[in-house]
Amino acid sequence: MRPAATTIFCALAGEAFRDAMRRRIVPVIAVFALLSLLAVDSCTSCAGSSQVVQNGVQVTASDISGWTGMLIFTVLSLWMMVLAGLLASDHLAEPVLDGSANLVLARPVKRSEFALARLAGALGIAAATGAVVLTVSAYLLHLRNGVPLGAAIWAGLACAAGALVVAALAMALSLRLARVATAMSVLFFVGAITLVNAFTLFGASLGKLGDILQHFAPPLCTAVVVALKPWIAPVAPEVDPTIMALKLAFWVVASVLILLATFNRQELGS
Amino acid sequence: MTALELIGVSKRYGRRYALRDVDLSLAPGSALGLLGPNGAGKTSALRMLLGFTQASAGTVRLQGLSPRDPASRVGVAYLPERLLLPGRMTVLSFLRHHAALAGLNGAELERDVEAVLEQVGLSARALDRLGSLSKGLIQRVGFAQAFLARPKLLILDEPTSGLDPIGIRDARDWILTARQRGCSILVSSHLLSEVERTCDQIAIIDEGTLVAQGRLDEVVEDGEALEDAFVRLVGR
Repeated sequence: MRPAATTIFCALAGEAFRDAMRRRIVPVIAVFALLSLLAVDSCTSCAGSSQVVQNGVQVTASDISGWTGMLIFTVLSLWMMVLAGLLASDHLAEPVLDGSANLVLARPVKRSEFALARLAGALGIAAATGAVVLTVSAYLLHLRNGVPLGAAIWAGLACAAGALVVAALAMALSLRLARVATAMSVLFFVGAITLVNAFTLFGASLGKLGDILQHFAPPLCTAVVVALKPWIAPVAPEVDPTIMALKLAFWVVASVLILLATFNRQELGS
Repeated sequence: MTALELIGVSKRYGRRYALRDVDLSLAPGSALGLLGPNGAGKTSALRMLLGFTQASAGTVRLQGLSPRDPASRVGVAYLPERLLLPGRMTVLSFLRHHAALAGLNGAELERDVEAVLEQVGLSARALDRLGSLSKGLIQRVGFAQAFLARPKLLILDEPTSGLDPIGIRDARDWILTARQRGCSILVSSHLLSEVERTCDQIAIIDEGTLVAQGRLDEVVEDGEALEDAFVRLVGR
């Protein structure tokens, strides 16, 4: 009889996580995470004056700290998404290409179980890094800038969903493209969407292609900013959080289905 | 129900045929040696049986099921020609991992892992990292994972590759022991003498086409060695 799907998944995901942990990029990630936290500490440690007049507009210290907090949290979230994408960009393709996946897939293991376990393994590192960096940052921002913590939880969830989307798509792409090309695609994908999302949030447009991306691409940056709305009220952009959540949920499901469909069609060699 | 079956199977890569209209079957408890020159299509046949690739035409059945169905691989063990194992894992943790995937757990898993380690002579190396083992020892680990959970069907691709003469003799003994236990065996090999000693049936593939299949005494003519029959049938 075939072992239970949960038993297989746990065995494979545990192995995939250990496999991800031994990669040379992990110490680099740890250093970058530490530098990020030092940067957040530095950015939040100086207290602003109670109010500033800029171009005739009165801006309070709370407005500035809210926007600073939003900017810091959004940049860190995007960083986590890129990290998830880069970690995923060879975590499935490598065992497939070198043939080591064959020994596992010759067992009564579904391809979907193998692919999802590899995805979980790659995301595990990004999730651990994200949990530390975003939690500490949110706490520092709350403590020093006085922003509410609740919004950070929603933004963290939006970041996790975005990271899953980027990682699943990167993993699917890595079955067709070389490692470097996949990594470049991750950077381009996240960068382009961030640019379009940011322009749109400020009421600007990047032309027809930008509009298409804004409507149909996963709202990686917008979702985080919308979740952090309480930090930047009352000048927050007018985007319905429910629609944003649904759009992100659609992309989570779609990206995982794309990965599974791509891997199911993959011919295994070696 | 046959242990495995290919019915009118073809596999095409672009315009090149790796297999062309091949019919092959293995009865439960039998051992079939799949022979053929390099690039004849033997590995393509094994890959299709395990669901790694899909046939361009024809039907493939593993234990009566489509190879895409994971249930078809319950009780099936595979030893690939090129065995790439995770170097950071110890022999023991690697075998435990595969035993879990094969459906074992708890005390039964530990007993089985211990038994296969003993069988392939690796008990003393159980805590060694796979990355520190020689090619011959890696092949023994490959055999150990294949023997986990007492498989009903063994699919072996060049199983003696990398083994020294003692290892080859041991491998032959392990295969024969598995046969005595009622395990069906499909061996793809270049070593005709090994196939002769371990299998009761042979199939010869040349340029993707099955040129002979049957019991050894049906394929090999009187006064002929298997090597002579092979050369005659392959025509080189």
